[in-house]
Amino acid sequence: MKFLKESDLPAFLEHLSGEAAVVAPAKVDGMVRFLPWSPGTEVELEALLARQSAKEFIFPQWETFLKFRYLMVCDAKRPGTTEDAKMELRLSEEGEGGGEVVAVPAPAAHELLMVGAEQQAVSQVIFGLRPCDARGFVQMDRVFGGYGGFYFDPYYHARRSVATLLVVSCHEPRSTCFCRGVGGGPADAEGADVLFTRVPEGFVAQAFSDKGAAVLQYPGFEEVSEPQVAAAEQSKARAEEMVSVPFELESLREGLRANFESADWQELSRRCISCGTCTYVCPNCYCFNVTDEVVETQGERLRSWDNCFNPSYTLEASGHNPRDAKPSRFRNRFNHKFWYYPEKYDSLLCSGCGRCITYCPTRIDIREVLSVMGGNETRAAGQAAGGAGAADGQVAADAKVGGDAADGEESQHGR
Amino acid sequence: MSDRQAIIRELAREALAEGRIDCFVGWGPGYDGSQVIPVFAKDAAEVEELQWNPLCHHNLTMFLKRKMAEPADARIGVCVKGCDSRTLVALLQEGLVDRERLYIVGVPCDGVIDRRKIDREFAAEVVEVGVNGDTVVARTAAGAEKHFDRPALLLDQCAACRFPNPRVADDIAGDTVPEPEGEPVWPALEEFESLSPAEKDGLLAAVFSSCIRCFACIHACPVCYCWDQCVNRSRTPALVGQRVETPENLMFQLVHIFHVAGRCPSCGACDRACPVEIPLYLLHQKMNKELYDMLGFEAGVNVDDRPALQAFNLDDPFGQG
Repeated sequence: MKFLKESDLPAFLEHLSGEAAVVAPAKVDGMVRFLPWSPGTEVELEALLARQSAKEFIFPQWETFLKFRYLMVCDAKRPGTTEDAKMELRLSEEGEGGGEVVAVPAPAAHELLMVGAEQQAVSQVIFGLRPCDARGFVQMDRVFGGYGGFYFDPYYHARRSVATLLVVSCHEPRSTCFCRGVGGGPADAEGADVLFTRVPEGFVAQAFSDKGAAVLQYPGFEEVSEPQVAAAEQSKARAEEMVSVPFELESLREGLRANFESADWQELSRRCISCGTCTYVCPNCYCFNVTDEVVETQGERLRSWDNCFNPSYTLEASGHNPRDAKPSRFRNRFNHKFWYYPEKYDSLLCSGCGRCITYCPTRIDIREVLSVMGGNETRAAGQAAGGAGAADGQVAADAKVGGDAADGEESQHGR
Repeated sequence: MSDRQAIIRELAREALAEGRIDCFVGWGPGYDGSQVIPVFAKDAAEVEELQWNPLCHHNLTMFLKRKMAEPADARIGVCVKGCDSRTLVALLQEGLVDRERLYIVGVPCDGVIDRRKIDREFAAEVVEVGVNGDTVVARTAAGAEKHFDRPALLLDQCAACRFPNPRVADDIAGDTVPEPEGEPVWPALEEFESLSPAEKDGLLAAVFSSCIRCFACIHACPVCYCWDQCVNRSRTPALVGQRVETPENLMFQLVHIFHVAGRCPSCGACDRACPVEIPLYLLHQKMNKELYDMLGFEAGVNVDDRPALQAFNLDDPFGQG
């Protein structure tokens, strides 16, 4: 453990910015956001949480997978044209000139040239994360990291592997915090390369990885004293006491499974307006869209954040939409985070930050939903479900839950 | 204020007991003593949760639009303030809500508190807000307390409100309030309109760089009802792109503003829903001023009117040479 004087924080960040892009919470127009830091930017640590998580710095809200253009075969066969087009496409890539351009024959007398996005990422240091923010990355690491033999995402990995996470423990948790309810805590070090704890006049800093140990080599760190260590422990214990545990985690998965067909989903989702705010401010919601944006003969393949409340989230090419009804989309979010994801990746997909409660336009409360629906007692009021489709839980029997009369008919098309 | 609350509860209780409605939508307590949320009361016990106070900002008519009113044939009671009633009028003008299925309780309004004006005065989280006449007291969990003058806390739009009483209602919760006369005024736009085009560009670029395309504004808007058919959601063709950055974000919002023009009364629901505090009320108000200046039209005032951009009128003052 070491100690950093509060007044040395700007110099410390400036030192880090020599080798990496630094990101830190800053207050702009009265709002605290994670923003790129540069010397002179005041770091905001009084406010507990930045409005959004720092997810976007490792999993950006949109990114280019590849660029492409079409050449008419007659063009392609003209001497030099294909090579010129390849050069142009390659140079249009940002960074060092992009990767190799691949040419494939395409239908209707075209040739398609494609170049993939550079997968080298800029090193980043994200300072001022709270334990829940850092834990969000650890939880997302599973789905993007090939856990269980599933997909390994090189784009996420490129940024994640060169990012250093410097976490500052929580001094005064909010009433909406429930990190302890999901196995975390206000001074939890999971995901942190270094954990900083505020004490009088500075921070006690502890490394939890090789990257973290390297950070603590900065000469501005001083030897930590016994009183400082004690003050840090006291601060952590005090914060720990302020966070409630609003539901029982153990029985949650089975409770959600048992309540899949419950009519209570309709009641709980009544005031939900089906936007996407909760998913976008969340440290670990990761669902995404892949779309091609084409202008005439050139285009880019983009990945961008999707959200499961989007009415088109499960809209299929046939026109069928298994989750056309709002209650079924609502149910899916909670089931994904507390049942499907743990079942597949052995990790929850929630770190208890409470942003979804604070920024929801109608203050849907995840703690309330989980207390009601995750209990051991089955709530099957009003639905003669018969259990069909509830067994594995991932079958879209969702049309049964609420809004059947009008919405159900729109989703039952078979083409 | 508490009179109106008692009347709302009484009216809701009666309507439910007499079987005239299946559900009553009002405002009620949120997760702490400073939050108000939409509440759907279906019995006498749930009616006791209904509240009326200056924190009741939600435009509850957002729950009446297609795909939000579930089941689709439910008979619904709903509370509306003056501004809320105008979006209800807009929905009725377009035939999008069945008047026969609605029981409308109009609530004359003295102004709604802008929660952001309170929150900015504290470093820590406010967990309790109490209103006592013209005094508002806000408190954090640690006990830090501040007193405010209620009129100073109101939403910007309340200062220019000309329709504090509901434009349509079956019953009214208490006495109506005085209604300002004369032409509309646009105090919120003074500063914006004094900017040069370059300065406006700069302002729009700054605020729209924050947009996260969460669609909260779109979904909180009672007259924005296209859902999965929305131009902003279309992927084939991709009319508004997936690059979440200023030019596309601005286009996204312009699509919304232009599409609701003529039906939007600047109720401000979009502004309050935005998690990154983009000044949406300002932009919608600007659109409405343009409509008023061009066509003398104000949205959501009379059920028998047609929204301005859906009417063809040979006497249209705009375009008369």
